[in-house]
Amino acid sequence: MTNTPTRRSFMKGGLGAGAALAAAGLAAPARAEGDPAITEIQDWNRYSGPGVDASPYGKPSKFEAGVVRRNVAWLTADPVSSVNFTPLHELDGIITPNGLCFERHHAGVAEIDPHKHRLMINGLVETPLVFTMADLMRFPRENHVYFLECAANSGMEWRGAQLNGCQYTHGMIHCVMYTGVKLKHLLDEAGVKTNGKWVMPEGADASAMTRSIPMEKAMEDCLVAFRMNGEALRPEQGYPLRLVVPGWEGNMWVKWLRRLEVGDEPWQAREETSKYTDLLANGKARRFTFLMDVKSVITSPSPQAPITHGRGRTVVTGLAWSGTGRIKRVDVSLDGGRNWVTARLDGPSLPKALHRFYHEFDWDGSELFLQSRAMDEAGFVQPTKQELRAARGPNSIYHNNGIQTWHVATDGAVENVEIS
Amino acid sequence: MSKFLKTLAVLAPLSLLCNNVAWADPDAEDGAKVFNKCKACHAVGEGAKHKVGPELNDLFGRTAGTAEGYKYSPAMTKAGEEGLVWNDETLHAYLAAPRGYVKGTKMAFAGLKKKEEIDDLLAYLKTHTSGAAAPEEKEAEPERKSEAPAPTEERKAEAAPAPDAAPKTHGVFHLGRPATADEIAAWDIDVRPDGHGLPEGRGTVAEGEALFTDQCAACHGDFGEAIGRWPVLAGGQDTLTNDRPVKTIGSYWPYLSTVYDYIRRAMPFGNARSLSDDDVYALTAYVLYLNDIVTDEDFELSRDNFTSVEMPNKDGFIDDDRLSEPHYAGKAEPCMNDCRPGKAEITMHAAVLDVTPDAEDGEGSPSIE
Repeated sequence: MTNTPTRRSFMKGGLGAGAALAAAGLAAPARAEGDPAITEIQDWNRYSGPGVDASPYGKPSKFEAGVVRRNVAWLTADPVSSVNFTPLHELDGIITPNGLCFERHHAGVAEIDPHKHRLMINGLVETPLVFTMADLMRFPRENHVYFLECAANSGMEWRGAQLNGCQYTHGMIHCVMYTGVKLKHLLDEAGVKTNGKWVMPEGADASAMTRSIPMEKAMEDCLVAFRMNGEALRPEQGYPLRLVVPGWEGNMWVKWLRRLEVGDEPWQAREETSKYTDLLANGKARRFTFLMDVKSVITSPSPQAPITHGRGRTVVTGLAWSGTGRIKRVDVSLDGGRNWVTARLDGPSLPKALHRFYHEFDWDGSELFLQSRAMDEAGFVQPTKQELRAARGPNSIYHNNGIQTWHVATDGAVENVEIS
Repeated sequence: MSKFLKTLAVLAPLSLLCNNVAWADPDAEDGAKVFNKCKACHAVGEGAKHKVGPELNDLFGRTAGTAEGYKYSPAMTKAGEEGLVWNDETLHAYLAAPRGYVKGTKMAFAGLKKKEEIDDLLAYLKTHTSGAAAPEEKEAEPERKSEAPAPTEERKAEAAPAPDAAPKTHGVFHLGRPATADEIAAWDIDVRPDGHGLPEGRGTVAEGEALFTDQCAACHGDFGEAIGRWPVLAGGQDTLTNDRPVKTIGSYWPYLSTVYDYIRRAMPFGNARSLSDDDVYALTAYVLYLNDIVTDEDFELSRDNFTSVEMPNKDGFIDDDRLSEPHYAGKAEPCMNDCRPGKAEITMHAAVLDVTPDAEDGEGSPSIE
């Protein structure tokens, strides 16, 4: 973990308290040589703490209070139909804690009594069916770790460096282990007719979100999930039931899932025509751009996680992912893409999941232009922003998977920049 | 239960048994309610057409598998050829355990467990068979039973109540239950470009304007120009190639059905599903008017003329061709050394824009000079 301002201020506070104790003559009889965090007995070392019942559902340490999702108020008209961002710069490994997974709602968080929740399958099926949550729990369950990335992640950066922090530039992503039932089992249970080519999931919230998903994908690896990281879905992630569409844009992962309709044509819903289409320079727009392309970002150092230790041993870490499958390799550049070294991938390498990479080096205190570049197992290489803009024009803001540059100043401060 | 059914089917004509047991009299009105379980697949009454299952007018006396224009399972056709005619007795046996009685029928229904329900249902269906409404009995032909498929152990199993009352009629795991027609109607409100899903109804531009002023203008502005960052609904035509295009319903949306579908399911914001189908037609008509797609205030949009309205940008969309972009098409091994000339120079700073939210209470992002 990085030294966050939280920790720094905590350390300062600790020193102050130690000094006060020493002045009052309550601590060690004589000032010992060395770090008072060691030479003085700390409160937590003397007094017993809260018992097991103090926190039936545990929370992070109060010293981690700054590790939270954050909103960019000016982005949207109203927080009820808005987005907040995962604090990627504070996290490690590949799993996002449930309470930090970014939120995107179109009509706020629906609070659904699971006993009143139903999942219907209708349309081009032999037997339209209704399932209770208890019914769904009786299908064979599977566990899979998948990333979920909003197609608009990094969209605010399309026209240039704008938001100063990887929480904002890349924080519309999370990665958890889902427990659920293969969508195929449910569709087979209802019996898809031969002309059933598309599936439309629908949410139970006040936006009643709908998208069209090709039958092939629905049958391949989609899940109807009721747990994340072992516990029930959080309300803001679709409790009690959401769709999981591995490797595809987050908008399709319909939350509060209540219905699946089978049809012979796509529905052309608002979210797949007016939104989540990619307007090119010639005035035509791409639609049904489902796949999330190969992408990576250095999460630390980054603008919210500057280098505070001065020159010497330095850990660069970040995340890489691809909707195609596994990440094969991540390269890191310290000089803005002139020269690259291959980073070290660590932790599980799972298809359509986040991958964690590290690059350790001795910083000489000079200015850095940090970049990362991912390559997936299909051989696709993360492009530069310049390459993407040249191909798509100024308004194709979704699916921006361009290489991010962080400028590290000689004092360790980090800024989001664009470079030559 | 299963033993009783076996007895019923093999030994006793239905009418005799009825006399010995204190069943309530068959009631066509109650039967109409029972028929709700059948409505997802069967229609009956004036103008009834085949749905998933055949229409059921004049069912009594009909030879199985012979309703014109309906595609039966081979099993049902064969049963008819072998002499199965629908009457009180055969319908009783069939409805108690469809797949036990006609093995191979495509009727997925589990069967009605209560004999009273079947009595009531048959009374209701008789009201749609000319000449059968009067509760006359004993038209069952005793010789029918020799032609009918013999009751089997399988049938016994079918008829036995499942431990959890779940019907074991569909799929692999036999989980869930068939959705009723009313349930599907309550949720299935989506509308497609081909008009699939459009409800009956109509509304004019003028009616839409009044509704819009009341219910929509607070966010979208009186003319669809939008207040704050709420979506702009009108204008922007011919701006899609501009540096700053204005994407509205008139300039960007390819299909009118999307407007109807979205208003119907999600608007007004914070009070979804509060508009009538006619209201939604009227608002959709008004949005067309705001975009100059219709110009007559008396224009009335309805299910009949809906699909004739073409949106200006209907041809503005192409399929995903990202993989043809130069940076993907090559799939080249990336450069590792001396990949770009010269030292990197900053061309744009995020900090200059100063649009990043301040971290409250001193947490998070440290300030950058």
